[in-house]
Amino acid sequence: MQRQVALIKQSLFDQGYLDEQFMELEELQDDANPNFVEEVSALYFKDSARLINNIDQALERGTFDFNRLDSYMHQFKGSSTSIGASKVKAECTTFREYCRAGNAEGCLRTFQQLKKEHSTLRKKLEHYFQLARQAGPKETARRPK
Amino acid sequence: MTVEQNLEALDQFPVGMRVLAVDDDQTCLKILESLLRHCQYHVTTTNQAQKALELLRENKNKFDLVISDVDMPDMDGFKLLELVGLEMDLPVIMLSAHSDPKYVMKGVTHGACDYLLKPVRIEELKNIWQHVVRSRFDKNRGSNNNGDKRDGSGNEGVGNSDQNNGKGNRKRKDQYNEDEDEDRDDNDDSCAQKKQRVVWTVELHKKFVAAVNQLGYEKAMPKKILDLMNVEKLTRENVASHLQKFRLYLKRISGVANQQAIMANSELHFMQMNGLDGFHHRPIPVGSGQYHGGAPAMRSFPPNGILGRLNTPSGIGVRSLSSPPAGMFLQNQTDIGKFHHVSSLPLNHSDGGNILQGLPMPLEFDQLQTNNNKSRNMNSNKSIAGTSMAFPSFSTQQNSLISAPNNNVVVLEGHPQATPPGFPGHQINKRLEHWSNAVSSSTHPPPPAHNSNSINHQFDVSPLQHSRPDPLEWNNVSSSYSIPFCDSANTLSSPALDTTNPRAFCRNTDFDSNTNVQPGVFYGPSTDAMALLSSSNPKEGFVVGQQKLQSGGFMVADAGSLDDIVNSTMKQEQSQGDLSGGDLGYGGFSSLRTCI
Repeated sequence: MQRQVALIKQSLFDQGYLDEQFMELEELQDDANPNFVEEVSALYFKDSARLINNIDQALERGTFDFNRLDSYMHQFKGSSTSIGASKVKAECTTFREYCRAGNAEGCLRTFQQLKKEHSTLRKKLEHYFQLARQAGPKETARRPK
Repeated sequence: MTVEQNLEALDQFPVGMRVLAVDDDQTCLKILESLLRHCQYHVTTTNQAQKALELLRENKNKFDLVISDVDMPDMDGFKLLELVGLEMDLPVIMLSAHSDPKYVMKGVTHGACDYLLKPVRIEELKNIWQHVVRSRFDKNRGSNNNGDKRDGSGNEGVGNSDQNNGKGNRKRKDQYNEDEDEDRDDNDDSCAQKKQRVVWTVELHKKFVAAVNQLGYEKAMPKKILDLMNVEKLTRENVASHLQKFRLYLKRISGVANQQAIMANSELHFMQMNGLDGFHHRPIPVGSGQYHGGAPAMRSFPPNGILGRLNTPSGIGVRSLSSPPAGMFLQNQTDIGKFHHVSSLPLNHSDGGNILQGLPMPLEFDQLQTNNNKSRNMNSNKSIAGTSMAFPSFSTQQNSLISAPNNNVVVLEGHPQATPPGFPGHQINKRLEHWSNAVSSSTHPPPPAHNSNSINHQFDVSPLQHSRPDPLEWNNVSSSYSIPFCDSANTLSSPALDTTNPRAFCRNTDFDSNTNVQPGVFYGPSTDAMALLSSSNPKEGFVVGQQKLQSGGFMVADAGSLDDIVNSTMKQEQSQGDLSGGDLGYGGFSSLRTCI
């Protein structure tokens, strides 16, 4: 079980869904904060869902206020970076580039991609945390070998 | 925390260092908090800049360090940075996902002692305590004669000693180097005896400002100032460091004012700065709603009325100012008490700032009143932001006033001329408020008594008069700012002074003493107060203005705080005509920083 958990985590890293930042977060997890990483993830997904919503609405309006979109995305990128969501972060960067170029279509496309990555990551992490909880708290803290 | 507690904390330093973390992103904040805890710091978090400021103002000594994000919805991180630096003099570290050097530069120029990129790593956080140590070390070194923080002379002392995040330190060092010889002597002396912390009371600051004005801002040298001031037990060192702070403050104000001034009518500023005589002569159209804050927040005056005006964009206000605002504030010249008159002037609290230029403090108050959203002011008006924020403690009205200062501040800085004389006051007031809070009561106290207050404001009253309107009216500013500068608690203002206004702007926020001192209390509670003001030394000019303000319910309430000072400055300007908008007064010093 533990090995399974470790493997899953490893694959997340290997596939580029997560990066070192996630490891840093795990380091912060300890007895005082046994579920720290999970809590942070939950917080991240909650916040980002809201952001995604905002961006969706902004895009739907069709006005393409690039500045605003850019600032939303900056925020999104900031929190994605903090949690180590590297694929999501990459999409954010792309999106912002399109914003700066004023490429509305590019933005839309990228945003779809971003949402996809985001939800994929979410599912994977949820799965991971679930297993980790089952396996026992200690396991989650271990770094993938 | 008491000094003793602080000392204890220091013993274990950096363990237990008290950090205030501000970031609107919950995820990042949580992570940051955890990281800091892992470094064994004591962490307090908030996701709102306003809240952070409140916490800081509540007790300056509660925190050793502030870490703040740059992009925040309710307030620009840089603004917060400035405010904290000015008001509390705590080291601030900026945090951002922006790695653009421009941001880093901005952080540096606003006084940040460090700039970290997200995602933050724990290794970086492990070393942030150095900034606290450095800041304290520099302070001690810079102000030899001012006792150490360790003296535990009190809040102001600590505040004083904990100067600057970065700028101050540097400047202090420079100054230190310049006056090395003298310093050494002083050092010797001071070392020999117990280091006495000098508390820059409103009175003292007033003297200081007067001396500076007398000498001429450019020519003001610590030694000469010291001689002019003729205060026993004050050393050149004390004066030197105080002067340094003052200069920084003025620079900031001028910087901000310049920007703001652009918006504002330079004419207006100028007029205000120069022409005001007694009450603002500024031809501020009474009716013009634009002028924000013109109307002193006279109590009697329905805030709403003022509010309406205040809300006008500062830009507008400024414009309206062009018409000689002078009167605006003081319109009630004859009728000090009637500030409402002034209210006609739109207080531009938030944006206008500029408008305030000439507006006497009352304007500020109006704004403050109307502008409960201090932060708004702050944000919009770079300048006063500091001040407005400073007044959180004020009653709502006052708050609005506070915001007004922002406007003022802005104005001041922009145009030397443009800045309404009163304006500086505002800004200064704001800053002053901060400062003056401590000093506060002194600032406003109703005329007769308010020596203290007047000191703040008045300080420059006379100087203002003759000071030729330098563009920024530094002189004026200084005078008005004198108060704010005093970091000491307001020893001055006797609460009695501020009797009239309960609403006085007691800025209770930082400054404990003279809570009553409401910097901005524009609305003079009573004409009497105003009368008093007028009756008080005309010389004080500033004071008078203040008084007037006070009587009018001018914001000056106990304003030991900057507000008062600013107000007084403004008033002075009005009355003096001289008040250069630019001179927010030294008091505004701190706020100036923020403004910029």
